[in-house]
Amino acid sequence: MDATKYHKNYQQLSPDIKQESTRQKRKEHFARGVARSVETVLAGLEGNPDLPKGLNYFINVMRDVFINSPGPNFLEAGADSRKIVGTYCMMIPEELIYAAGAIPVRLSGGSYEASCIGDELVPRDTCPVVKASIGFISLNFPSVYERCDVVIVPTTCDSKRKMGEELSKFKDVWMIEVPHIKETEGSRTRWLEQIYALKENLEKYTGRKIRRKNLDVSIKMIGQVWYQARRFYELRRLSPSVIFGQEAALVLNAYSYDTASSWTEALAELNNELAELCKKGCFIGNNDTPRILLAGSPSVFPNWKIPSLIEEMGAMIATEESCLGDRYFYDPVGTTEQTMKDMMAGLGSRYLMPCICPSFAPNEDRLYRLLQIAEDFEIDGIIYHVLKGCIIYDFELIRVEKIMKERGIAVLRIETDYNPEDVEQIRTRVEAFIEVLKVKKKKRGE
Amino acid sequence: MNVTKLRWTVLTASFLILTFGGLIGIYLGDFLPTFACAFVGGEKVGGICFLYPMQAALESAKWQEYKSILVTFFFFSLLIIVFGRVWCGWICPLGFIQDFLDLIRRKLHIDYIRFPQKLREGLKSIKWIFLFIALLIPLWVAFPFFAPDVARDMRMPFCSLCPARYILPMVSGDYLRVGIDFKSATSITMSALGIIFSALTIFGALLKRRFFCSYCPMVLFISFYKKIGFVRLKKNIQKCTRCEICYNVCPMEIEDVFKEREKEDVTFADCIMCLKCVESCPEDDALQATFLGKTIFRSTWTGFFKGTLNR
Repeated sequence: MDATKYHKNYQQLSPDIKQESTRQKRKEHFARGVARSVETVLAGLEGNPDLPKGLNYFINVMRDVFINSPGPNFLEAGADSRKIVGTYCMMIPEELIYAAGAIPVRLSGGSYEASCIGDELVPRDTCPVVKASIGFISLNFPSVYERCDVVIVPTTCDSKRKMGEELSKFKDVWMIEVPHIKETEGSRTRWLEQIYALKENLEKYTGRKIRRKNLDVSIKMIGQVWYQARRFYELRRLSPSVIFGQEAALVLNAYSYDTASSWTEALAELNNELAELCKKGCFIGNNDTPRILLAGSPSVFPNWKIPSLIEEMGAMIATEESCLGDRYFYDPVGTTEQTMKDMMAGLGSRYLMPCICPSFAPNEDRLYRLLQIAEDFEIDGIIYHVLKGCIIYDFELIRVEKIMKERGIAVLRIETDYNPEDVEQIRTRVEAFIEVLKVKKKKRGE
Repeated sequence: MNVTKLRWTVLTASFLILTFGGLIGIYLGDFLPTFACAFVGGEKVGGICFLYPMQAALESAKWQEYKSILVTFFFFSLLIIVFGRVWCGWICPLGFIQDFLDLIRRKLHIDYIRFPQKLREGLKSIKWIFLFIALLIPLWVAFPFFAPDVARDMRMPFCSLCPARYILPMVSGDYLRVGIDFKSATSITMSALGIIFSALTIFGALLKRRFFCSYCPMVLFISFYKKIGFVRLKKNIQKCTRCEICYNVCPMEIEDVFKEREKEDVTFADCIMCLKCVESCPEDDALQATFLGKTIFRSTWTGFFKGTLNR
């Protein structure tokens, strides 16, 4: 099948890193930089005296991946001999990857240091997520990048699509065509064909046939992921909250670099702990704390610029809708039969239809979803994060602002990138926004 | 007990009652909006499909019969208004046979077939043709203004074509009724077609969920009452994430339930009220089955995970 294009591994053509010694030096410098900024974020999280115990696991996963690399984490230690497949965006059925006997990692880049490396490899106006993704891949650091030989790139937004081409200089790249109009039968059939093609490619890559039984087992295993993630979602709906938004975001981000089974186990424990806290009435903040929906471009770990800022200013991020946050985990795979066709159709549906990435058009579904989220979490205000170059999220802001205005929910647009230099400027704006929300909320309460 | 099990229990019980009920003295009447076949024999049958007395009355050309069929029609309509599509998904004996064959398919892990949308649209006309056969040919039999010889052998035209008329007597142990009627060229054609349809239904149901129901004139008949029926399927448009699960589990392959973005009522023409969509919907209250506006079954995320993780 030709549906998934297979790019040959080119020689490393990047002009700056031709020489091995400079490359090595540069890599070391890069590693130090990444470690420093990751440690800042993690230390900030650990600074919370009431940090739930269950959160330590997820902090350690991140530490293992970015700082102790290669650390005692399974992916680094090589104890697990399974192959690693890198994926981007949120349309790649990881059930298939597990069924083929490999492990998926979600490689979206959130590091400022990596985005600086990527700056030299892509056009100036590319978004920092893509810049950082390329930066990581080009230096093959942290070692989780070294261990994955294949990356799968869905054709979502313009930047991700072209990123696929550029990445093929460093790794084998499989492109998957995502239909941008979801509704028609034609595009859904075409999508399902791609999923079948991906299955074949994975089988060739790992040498293990994906049989009905393997797939059934992995769908059930990942089903536990969706289940625990949904429990986590429901626990966070409580107002006032039981966990900080940035802590929740870390939990969800950590999934990218962990195996499904161990992550689920850790989250199940955390969920139980949070349920206990709810029972005891240990809530964070009070009824006047503004509840924020962090919408728009994803805040990829370790880009904690906006999340930490919001919570420093005394608001609570109730949820984050992005593809690294709740959007990825919200919809489960629904199959009722153990036949191959039904399972594949279920996977095809799950990874395309409910996805509300703004690269789809029309994307009314996202507006409905945002309204539902605002209702579910009793949202007071929306901070709409636009990463420079991420035009599609910026486009949808027009519609989001309109529907939210009708419901009396304020929206603040913040355009920025990974560069820390504009933090103080943003802080002033966020602070003012949150103060207004606080006053409003107090008035309503009285 | 979950809804699937409840539905299987009701479906099995009603199959037994409608096909063998006569043996223990149960007889529900001849106005049922479901394929309870009169041909399983007077001593066994527990209730009779409305199409049977309807064709018989239309053929009789007697004013008396026409008046009495109107009374039967009244009860028939009443049953549809109260129970609606529940007749199809929960009671129909032919539906039971098809679901049983579907169960065998699942156990053997054979993939189901899904027809492309265009083909489905094209095949929609079949149920209309069946309905016209059941309504118009009996009138021709009653008033044979042309080809009277052919008309005479066209008695009970829909029954001779209906798969239930061959399959249900067969499963009830009466093989004598399953054969070609050699009386005349017309009867040979009609009974041969009926046997072909029956064979198609059996093989079809083994490979496609609720194969015959897409062509069933009774489903069409019931859909005429959709504006006033008591049983409804409702959707909360904002809560729906359009994840397509309801379409994947739907035996009638109705796409409109997940696509609908305007109306709250999603009781579409082909729906058989099996409630699989409600059971498999992972959103709280996104789908609800209602009776006279009261919710009788609603979707929940916990229910979804209970169902899929233990499947």
